Amino acid sequence: MKTSDIFSYAFGAIRLRKLRAGLTTLGVVVGIAAIVALLSITQGLQTTIGDQLQTGFATDTLVVSTGRGFGMSPGAMIAAESDFELLVNYTQIIDEIEDVDLSVAVIRKPGYIKSGEREFLLTVVGVNFAKYADIYSRTFVAERGDISLNPENETVVIGKRISDPWKNGTIFSNVDEVVEITWTNASTLPPKNETYSGHVAAVLKEIGGFGVGGPSDTNVYIPISQAQSFFGIDECDMIIVQLENDDDTTIESVSEAIEEAFGGQVNVTSSTAVLDTISTIFSTVELFLAGIAAISLLVAGIGIMNIMIVSLMERTREIGILKALGMKSRTVLSIFLSEAVIVGLMGAALGIASGWVLANVVARVFTGGGFMSAGNQAAAAGGMTITPVLTPTVILGAFAFGLLVSVIFALYPAWRASRLKPVDALRYE
Amino acid sequence: MATPIVETVNLRKTYMLGKVPVEALQGVNLKVEKGDFLAILGPSGSGKSTLLNMIGALDKPTEGKVFIEGVDASTLSDNALADARRKIGFVFQFFNLIPRLTARGNVELTMTIPGLGRDKRRERAEELLETVGLKDRMDHKPAELSGGERQRVAIARALANNPKFLLMDEPTGNIDSKTAREIVELVKKLNEDKGVTIIVVTHDQQIASQTRRTVLMIDGSIVEEKVN
Repeated sequence: MKTSDIFSYAFGAIRLRKLRAGLTTLGVVVGIAAIVALLSITQGLQTTIGDQLQTGFATDTLVVSTGRGFGMSPGAMIAAESDFELLVNYTQIIDEIEDVDLSVAVIRKPGYIKSGEREFLLTVVGVNFAKYADIYSRTFVAERGDISLNPENETVVIGKRISDPWKNGTIFSNVDEVVEITWTNASTLPPKNETYSGHVAAVLKEIGGFGVGGPSDTNVYIPISQAQSFFGIDECDMIIVQLENDDDTTIESVSEAIEEAFGGQVNVTSSTAVLDTISTIFSTVELFLAGIAAISLLVAGIGIMNIMIVSLMERTREIGILKALGMKSRTVLSIFLSEAVIVGLMGAALGIASGWVLANVVARVFTGGGFMSAGNQAAAAGGMTITPVLTPTVILGAFAFGLLVSVIFALYPAWRASRLKPVDALRYE
Repeated sequence: MATPIVETVNLRKTYMLGKVPVEALQGVNLKVEKGDFLAILGPSGSGKSTLLNMIGALDKPTEGKVFIEGVDASTLSDNALADARRKIGFVFQFFNLIPRLTARGNVELTMTIPGLGRDKRRERAEELLETVGLKDRMDHKPAELSGGERQRVAIARALANNPKFLLMDEPTGNIDSKTAREIVELVKKLNEDKGVTIIVVTHDQQIASQTRRTVLMIDGSIVEEKVN
């Protein structure tokens, strides 16, 4: 029997039992959709985070920190226990190291910014504008106003989403406006709010990402000297180091040199290391989620097997007729497997399509929550847009998986059908 | 002398009915020559359907041999048996048509098995259905056809692959007497005009009287053979 005739016969059998075939296919659709949705969302998330890290965190930079609050390595714990302080002027030490282009200290404190009646809690970042703009020449760029390289103490630069937090043109604060910046000094008893009036000199262009130490749409930037006096500290949260190049050997030698310069009391993290760590975490999460989705496909497989066994019983006489007409056992096997192939392919195709739709809906729901809607923490997440990614590998994999599950679970019923003796099958009532 | 189309030699078949062995065939010797029209008669349980299954390569004997065109079917593999069945046209008491296929589809299906092309099998199916008088009913499904019409479709299907012989199991057992007469006429015509070899298992004396030869089976043995 020709392959086309086998498929045509199998398709006819499926069409006869539309509802049943539909429900069987639905099982596969759900399984494949779950896998596709989860994979495309996690891949999208990974790409987004990767892109954003690269945007805000160039590959030729290192981040020096004490590890308090930014611990990616086990050394962070040790560092946290010592009373070592990373001071703003340590940039001078780092600048001396070979292959270091320049370095910039970053002070980050939670603070309030008030404009008119509205007030938001966010991160106030103190940096040397000139150096910071040098390192982040693509992202620390003004959309409106000017980033003064020799700023006055009152100069404030705000992220795009502080200017337009709802993304709808309702401006919270704009260039040349006065904003009040407040932070709570908890080192005094009782804690005391300290406030000064800043002058918005520039609004950054939209970055759309976040980075460790890199510019963000939701930060307020003030000159480092002002941060030092306003917060009353000389300690910084991190020092961003720009290297001459992003060779692995440079990254390694400079990292070692910095660690050595501070007696092993600091953590030096490269962006590539952060990306690697994130990618490892994502692979694990992805595998875990795909595993869960695979279970639903397993259930679908059992459904296929069940339906095919029932179908086999109903069609015993038909099989007897086909065999009496001279059909070989392997052709009977092929007919039943073809039915599974059709169900698997249809299920996979519909599953991929609905998984893709599902992924987009989920992504929209997750990224739809606006800035400030759930306080400061949401701000960072709100700035991130997940675009689900459907790679050819996922599509092919989903097809292969749907097909494989259908065929594997159909093997036993199909084999049983093919083994039926014609004389018994014809006698079957 | 030419090789008989079918020959059985000391054919025995024992079934287990629960734990009780039932000897359905007890040494049957039968020869069918090309162009023959043979009726196998006998009461229920005489073993005629079992004999038909052996001759039709649907089942294997416990002992003895079945030769189909000189080839011993009792030693063939499942695949070879399937091939052997393509040379045989079956007509069953309960028609055994595929319900979801039209009359034409049922006849065509037989020809898809050896891999005949779509156009050729369509043409032949129409020709055969015309021969059995169903020219206007080709696109009807079995459920839309009368018993007699269904049996005609079954006969057309049996003839589709140019079989060496037709095996009919109570072909008139499930249709009214008038239609039965028409079917008998049709079968007789096939034998006389087209030289189709026919073996028919039946209770029906009307068919038996139209055949060239009858054998009577009782308790798994042939007890009488008669040339009409």
